[in-house]
Amino acid sequence: MQEIIIGIGVTALAGALAAVAGAAEDTESNIGSQGDPNSQVQLAPQMGYTHRIYNKAVSGEPPAYTLWVTLACGVAWAFLMLGVNAILAIIFGTVLATFVQGVYATTAYLGRTASLSKFGQPVFIDVVKSVTTVTMAHAFVAIFATVTVCYLMMTVIGHPFALPLLGIVWGLALGAAGSATGNPYYGKERQYQNQKFGAGVPISASGNIVRYAEAGQRSSIDNGFFTAKFGGPASGICFGLIVFFELWRTIIFEDFLAGWGAVIVGALIIVVFMIIDRYVEVWARKNYGPYTVEA
Amino acid sequence: MSVKVEASHDGIPHNKVMAIGAVISLVSLYIAIIGTVIGVDYLAFFGGIAAVGALIWGNSTIKKLCSYGIGTGVPSAGMLAFGSGLIALLFASALAGFSIWIVPVAALVIALIVGLFLGWISNSVLNMKIPVMTRSIAELAAVGALALMGLGVVATGTVSFTGIATIEILGVSVYNASYLGAGVIAVSFMLGAIALQHPFNACLGPGEKQDRTNMLAIECGFLSMIIMAVISFVFVSLAAAWISFVVAIIGWAVSYVKYVALSKRDAAAWLDAKPFSDKEE
Repeated sequence: MQEIIIGIGVTALAGALAAVAGAAEDTESNIGSQGDPNSQVQLAPQMGYTHRIYNKAVSGEPPAYTLWVTLACGVAWAFLMLGVNAILAIIFGTVLATFVQGVYATTAYLGRTASLSKFGQPVFIDVVKSVTTVTMAHAFVAIFATVTVCYLMMTVIGHPFALPLLGIVWGLALGAAGSATGNPYYGKERQYQNQKFGAGVPISASGNIVRYAEAGQRSSIDNGFFTAKFGGPASGICFGLIVFFELWRTIIFEDFLAGWGAVIVGALIIVVFMIIDRYVEVWARKNYGPYTVEA
Repeated sequence: MSVKVEASHDGIPHNKVMAIGAVISLVSLYIAIIGTVIGVDYLAFFGGIAAVGALIWGNSTIKKLCSYGIGTGVPSAGMLAFGSGLIALLFASALAGFSIWIVPVAALVIALIVGLFLGWISNSVLNMKIPVMTRSIAELAAVGALALMGLGVVATGTVSFTGIATIEILGVSVYNASYLGAGVIAVSFMLGAIALQHPFNACLGPGEKQDRTNMLAIECGFLSMIIMAVISFVFVSLAAAWISFVVAIIGWAVSYVKYVALSKRDAAAWLDAKPFSDKEE
């Protein structure tokens, strides 16, 4: 009984940490324009729209976050093996991962922008200085929270995977949650405010991204303000629920039917979410779409 | 059928870059193996040099492959390379029981065979019909195997299977805390796979220059080596780990500064807190 209570407590804590991680991850990638609007950021100077938006193309978010979280887990594991206190070990791992993230971010910005010299797009060093540090801070929060979730799974719940392998699984899940959930709430709506809502990006408007703002010329640091309200919390809820349900079903139902209980409950959770998703989709279509001709 | 688009004109042709990268990688791995054979582990840092050599080669291959317009496939190419390279690495390291000297060459040959097979599947069975596909995937698998082996050498100081699958704790051989058993190989995998695709992905565009992209490949290699050097404190002697760490830091810092200088050379303008003006206005 006590084991189950501790398990549930850890499940709740891990879910909360994951929610923080998801929110920070999405804010990080949106400030750095790493998500899907990045192709438009890359395209804009070629269409004659020079801009001050950070062009951070390390890779898609899932592989990038797999790297940061896995290497933080690996370094944390190494420090644990060397007898360092767990919290310090996780912090050392996260600091190194954040350092690597910052280096990759700056090289991606400098490389891509320099390759656009033909179109007169300058490299803005003040953008590099201000935006990189802000994305690194958000990456630190996201990585630290996720590595802590992995550590809790390994030690308290006794997950059979080694720490770096848990890092690969949950880093990938974190990046996927931020990319799939966060971006639809942000990118196109913030970056394409020049376009009519719901218009998508017609070819004639390619590269016509938002470049001016109320306080001088915009750098994408302001996207954090927008994302923190919508995309971040959505990603946080998504990743938090993934971690919470994953642990909850395992801890409560693993003893039933020789382990199959947890599998069946997992399948049931998926079915319930499919029904909810379908309901939300139909509701949204009825209220907001389809995009018919105005009467 | 894809159409080839030239990314940029290279000063050094691909075959030459390939030869240089392969030679740097293999020679460095053999120097590291000499260290293992004579019983010292402070030559482990040559594994990092091997990874850098392999990344220079792989980066040129990715550039060649991606001139056929598979833009979003650039990160996937890194993952594919290391996935197929991993098979070759594990197979080859098991051959160390026979003779440790054949491991790097065996990894190269096995990876080329695995890669040729995968390339044939993607080109002929999946019908992608890109002329350089089969050769490029074979090359990428070889690059993956060599880079993974190099990073593994930095961490553990050896290329043999027993070396990466066991660790001595209080005189007992343990699997769970070894390079393979603790999943540290996952860190090498991700570090290598992202480092392989990043240089070309980050520098793509009409103004891409070969020397700048290569400098970024070197920078990514040393950056990955820093992390493996930190992890190596668990596996190798203190002196060896410190040597790897210092070499990695110096290599990274020098290449990073040079890369920033090359970016400054190629950029349209280098502005610090100055407003921009639109071309058409």
